[in-house]
Amino acid sequence: MKKLLFSTLSLVMVFFAGGCGDFDLTDSAESKGNEKITIKIAWWGEKPRHDYTLEVIELFEEKYPTINVEPIYSNWDDYWKRLAPMAAGNQLPDIVQMDMLYLKTYSENYLLEDLTPYVDQNLIKTDSISEAILSGGKIDEHLYGFPLGLNAPAIIVDQNLLSSGADNKPNANWTWSDFEKIALQVHKEKGIYGTNGMKSPDVFFSYFLRTKGMNLYNKTGTGLGYEDDQLFIDYFDMQIRLLDKGAFPRADVTEQIKGIEDELLVKQQSAMQWVYSNQYIGFLQATNRQLELLPPPGPGQDAGLSVKPSMLFSMSKSSKHKEAAAQFINFVINDIEANKVIKGERGVPISTKVVQKIEKDLSPAQKKVFDYVNEVKNTNKKVDKADPLGSNEVVKLLQDVSEQILFKKITPAEGAQLFRSEATTILSNNN
Amino acid sequence: MNTRVIKENIQADITITPVSKRSRIIKENLTGYAFISPFIIGFLAFTFIPILASLYLSFTNYNLFASPTWIGLDNYIQMFTADPRYWKSLKVTLIYVLGGVPLRLAFALLIALMLNTASRAVGLYRSLFYLPSLIGGSVAVAIMWRNVFGDVGIVNILLDVLGIPSVRWFGNPTAALWMLIFLSVWQFGSSMLIFLAGLKGIPKSYYEAASVDGANGIQKFFKITLPMLSPVILFNTVMQTIAAFMTFVPAFIISKGTGGPLDGTLLYSLYLFIQGFEFFNMGYASAMAWIMLIIVGILTAIIFTTSKYWVHYESEGGR
Repeated sequence: MKKLLFSTLSLVMVFFAGGCGDFDLTDSAESKGNEKITIKIAWWGEKPRHDYTLEVIELFEEKYPTINVEPIYSNWDDYWKRLAPMAAGNQLPDIVQMDMLYLKTYSENYLLEDLTPYVDQNLIKTDSISEAILSGGKIDEHLYGFPLGLNAPAIIVDQNLLSSGADNKPNANWTWSDFEKIALQVHKEKGIYGTNGMKSPDVFFSYFLRTKGMNLYNKTGTGLGYEDDQLFIDYFDMQIRLLDKGAFPRADVTEQIKGIEDELLVKQQSAMQWVYSNQYIGFLQATNRQLELLPPPGPGQDAGLSVKPSMLFSMSKSSKHKEAAAQFINFVINDIEANKVIKGERGVPISTKVVQKIEKDLSPAQKKVFDYVNEVKNTNKKVDKADPLGSNEVVKLLQDVSEQILFKKITPAEGAQLFRSEATTILSNNN
Repeated sequence: MNTRVIKENIQADITITPVSKRSRIIKENLTGYAFISPFIIGFLAFTFIPILASLYLSFTNYNLFASPTWIGLDNYIQMFTADPRYWKSLKVTLIYVLGGVPLRLAFALLIALMLNTASRAVGLYRSLFYLPSLIGGSVAVAIMWRNVFGDVGIVNILLDVLGIPSVRWFGNPTAALWMLIFLSVWQFGSSMLIFLAGLKGIPKSYYEAASVDGANGIQKFFKITLPMLSPVILFNTVMQTIAAFMTFVPAFIISKGTGGPLDGTLLYSLYLFIQGFEFFNMGYASAMAWIMLIIVGILTAIIFTTSKYWVHYESEGGR
């Protein structure tokens, strides 16, 4: 039955991709003026994001009474599984929330609309947005995704769970050996983990590589961006050392984490949590405790830390109401009231005007994220570009390999080799 | 006069009959086809043509979005020579099938035997035991199963009470797979109903004769019940093996779509799904589907060939 189901699906897809692609009903409703049109918008996230986004949609519908917005949302994993069949059937929602991991896959298959004309027509206003940040959503001069906010890797620290003693506290200029020492100290004194599982490995291993002047992918995306496997080995050896002493959670512990409420830091079972900076807002809500936001350890933080579009809004090529979709994107990017509701949960807003206007409404804790991202942005002008084709498969591979290492099925050295050979195959097949 | 009219009528009948009969047959056939046309059309459009399409796709590089490009046998070659995860998923699936199906059938037979003893409440019990299968493959059950086997779930609490150390069901690849097998065993209802029907079909006189000859319960079970039930066992084995091979939902939900931990629950269908819809290798996924069809075909053939040694057909005089 299952096989039949899949083959049926692929057939249906062939039909849609082949047959329906040519139907063009563009603007049939918009041209009639008063009639209400409907645009669909899809995003991933957890419950807090769903709640406030629905609020933003209401604000938008008040301002644009002729546009009706239909939301489609789910968590990260399910989101991409739902989006793929929709894309294959040429049925993508008008606006899709996009990630740097998938931007190339979707744009190179002609599924996304270049947003440049809408920016030129001032439908999406960019007067207080820097060109450098906007370029994060570009692929070869085509703006396929509009960045919604900025992010940088960071560590959340719960000071109350750290061990006492001044030299046991992390500071902005700490090193990997400080990190290791502090994690061990926490475990020794409090009997909890020093850190969380440093997931997802691609994010923080990439950071580690950048501090050494390397990258996860090479410039053309055809292979890995580092030559020396010793870097991989060093990175995971550190985790194994902490694991052996009980300061790092075992893989079967992290396997149980299903949502933010299960995170070790939230359950006070870990003093440090590796995150993307925008997640700090969610952790504040989930813990209701005082939390610090710090850069990950160095040396090489200046090179290692760079801002990245936390997520983007893309417009689907198949959209029948592109103008309305552009208006919605503009609303989320530039509307002050909307951003007062969003509060930077999708990353620090890219419009400097919006940041100025909403900053005074933020709590001191929420403001920490804005300051942190600002500092990173000022130190390192580079904005991350979209990941190469096949990177979603490479990320999955790295997750598998790191799981095998942490389950002690293979050594870091074996893992380094396995990762290199398979990742190279994937990347060279795709690019 | 009367006879003439009758004769003419008969004559008329004789001349008309061949034509009208043929047209009637054609008409009847057409009506028949019209009645089954929903199935025929549905079968062609949603089963047969898609199967052919997937055969074609299996020889292509197809990423769901762009049009497929012909690459010959590359997908199959990669599957067998360069994809360790493929072999891993095949191994996991075989353990799941070979471990799960016999356990499930044994369990179903056991319950069927218990229900076969006359009791006033037998209807109620039958419904109750069938219940898990009704809600069987659903998402809700798989989610419930996650909680039942959680670190502080009811299974670990029971193990604790019995003095057995608790198991991290999600943290250990083997334990996670057995958790899936238990889930499949628990959904024994449909096989049980078929067994029950089979049991009802065994003539009481055989047991009476055996009792007269002094046979005990165990002898009766092995000498009468099992042989008489063997055609039903064959049917159940074949159906359950095929179904087990295609299991998807529980593995998908319980591992959150990853097949983890350490690919321990990476059933074949799940890996196929991941390749097709997560990695966008729909050509490769189609090739996997065809290999699965072949494997299931071979397994079924093996079961049928061996069946002549252990299946007892009443109509063939006990041969």
